[in-house]
Amino acid sequence: MGHISLNKVRKAFGDVEVIPPLDLQINDGEFVVFVGPSGCGKSTLLRLIAGLEDVSSGEIEIDGRPSAELPPAKRGLAMVFQSYALYPHMSVRKNIAFPMKMAGVSAEEQERRIAAAASALNLTDYLDRKPGQLSGGQRQRVAIGRAIVREPAAFLFDEPLSNLDAALRVGMRLEISELHKRLATTMIYVTHDQVEAMTMADKIVVLRAGRIEQVGAPLELYENPRNLFVAGFIGSPRMNFIEGPEAAHHNAHTMGIRPEHIDVSATQGQWQGRIGVAEHLGSDTYFHVHDTGLAETITVRASGEVALRHGDTVFLTPQADKIHRFNNEGLKQ
Amino acid sequence: MATTHARAAARLMISPSVILLLGWMLIPLCMTLYFSVLRYNLLMPGDTPFAGIENYQYFLTDPAFTTALINTLVLVVGVLVVTIVGGTLLALLLDQPMWASGIWRILVIAPFFVMPTVSALVWKNMFMNPVNGLFAHLFKALGLAPFDFLAQAPLLSIIGIVSWQWLPFATLILLTAMQSLDSEQIEAAEMDGAGALSRFRYITIPHLGRAATVVILIETIFLLSVFAEILVTTNGGPGNASTNLTYLIYAESLLRFDVGVGSAGGVVAIILANIVAIFLMRAIGKNLDA
Ligand SMILES: Nc1ncnc2c1ncn2[C@@H]1O[C@H](COP(=O)(O)OP(=O)(O)OP(=O)(O)O)[C@@H](O)[C@H]1O
Ligand SMILES: [Mg+2]
Repeated sequence: MGHISLNKVRKAFGDVEVIPPLDLQINDGEFVVFVGPSGCGKSTLLRLIAGLEDVSSGEIEIDGRPSAELPPAKRGLAMVFQSYALYPHMSVRKNIAFPMKMAGVSAEEQERRIAAAASALNLTDYLDRKPGQLSGGQRQRVAIGRAIVREPAAFLFDEPLSNLDAALRVGMRLEISELHKRLATTMIYVTHDQVEAMTMADKIVVLRAGRIEQVGAPLELYENPRNLFVAGFIGSPRMNFIEGPEAAHHNAHTMGIRPEHIDVSATQGQWQGRIGVAEHLGSDTYFHVHDTGLAETITVRASGEVALRHGDTVFLTPQADKIHRFNNEGLKQ
Repeated sequence: MATTHARAAARLMISPSVILLLGWMLIPLCMTLYFSVLRYNLLMPGDTPFAGIENYQYFLTDPAFTTALINTLVLVVGVLVVTIVGGTLLALLLDQPMWASGIWRILVIAPFFVMPTVSALVWKNMFMNPVNGLFAHLFKALGLAPFDFLAQAPLLSIIGIVSWQWLPFATLILLTAMQSLDSEQIEAAEMDGAGALSRFRYITIPHLGRAATVVILIETIFLLSVFAEILVTTNGGPGNASTNLTYLIYAESLLRFDVGVGSAGGVVAIILANIVAIFLMRAIGKNLDA
């Protein structure tokens, strides 16, 4: 069980309201990702759910029980911290055993769960090492192991992969996704990396300045962003925004078109421009096109290798059915 | 660049300080060794014949020696226990958010800046004096007979005075160690179900291990040679009850004017200090490895 609901939860540090009243439902077994720019209150929200911070007003219910009076340990949630927060003087085995020891789990049961977690996370060979003797990825796995053995109602992750290098991050991302499939436990995952959000989430919560901008499945957010902020935040490279006469021509204050929804041609098209930087990745080619008279740069993503270089003139054609239209308040029309 | 040339230059540059340091340490050490094998008493001026190990024999077989040895160890261990335990508790207290915490911290650190002689005099006359001392007044107010601390429990009283001086040092080091504890670790332990006591026992105390080791090692060096506090308060008495090795050496060489026996005592003290150091490093030195 791991149903969490936030009702009018508000958090202020002194006079500063970091999270204005906010409602959110997290269903049992869901993988929910909080994304948003730095400082928007993702960690704060997670810590409120964990009980490490007290809500200023409002209520958090976990499995239908109001949690206001529940200390962190009694909420049945396990948290994986960005810095891993392993206990440096304890071996990996003792680290993983610590929550069970505190809960008074019997020694045999502890052994059984440690062995299970260690084999699931490839930690069996490292059980007698200290955290200081492990690599970043291994430490991350120990932190996850320590969370798993508690058999929590929900896992909370606060940017668990941000200290890892790119390759390791992709690997751990898959491992965490697999873990979720296997355990089918609710997971709340904070990140500011939208690729992590898109690939892992069942449900993405986009936050800005403590406010929820949109909640939805990854593709829903990608195809149907509710406003300019979400449109700009989800998707990489960013959506192009065009204002002025061209947007008016499409009956919008601002029109948005994703780089992958613009066709490139060397000979003909709707818009004309000059290529600035061309990024040839092999699988894709990104062009940053200037001098279109529409916006400073228009980013275009072409599939495969396209033989256009810096300084070449290009013609761009937006795919008509993929154009997003926003009104003057930035809301989707 | 670690070329041969650069290394030679580096050696040349540091040689003055190395030579100075060596001279600083070696000359007094050698002279002490030399004096310790002479019959050299200032009351009998004139020649100072070679005496072999006679001084050592005399010093080691002196009944006061065993007492002094035991007193030295009791003093060191007693003060260490009080300062580590007290320092941890004080650090815990000072680590809490509270009103005017800056002022409290300075107040707690203040005793460290009081000279040993002065603090011993203050304790002797202001607190422990059986007639006018504050403790005497306190006892009388409670209807008890005043307790003459320095006469009836001299070693304990000195342990108290020296602990008072060293408590700030221990508190300061342990407080900084406590503040360097990653708050996420505490939060992780909190989520893992550890109550305040368990968190202290399983997270904070192991974290303080290294700092406590530093405190123990540094304090031991200084506590082995406590002197001013004894001279000012009890003069090593009553009898030998509060004589430690340092004070015994002082009594031999300066009260009895016997430089030879005093030097022999000094050499014995150096050897004992080294034994203690080796023992300590064996016992707790591993805490210093990262
Ligand atoms: N203890 C605190 N006291 C005062 N302000 C705080 C405190 N903790 C966080 N804040 C403020 O609350 C806001 C949200 O912080 P939070 O740590 O939740 O951001 P975040 O979304 O996790 O950012 P990041 O992606 O950089 O981790 C920030 O503006 C921060 O300055
Ligand atoms: Mg954060």
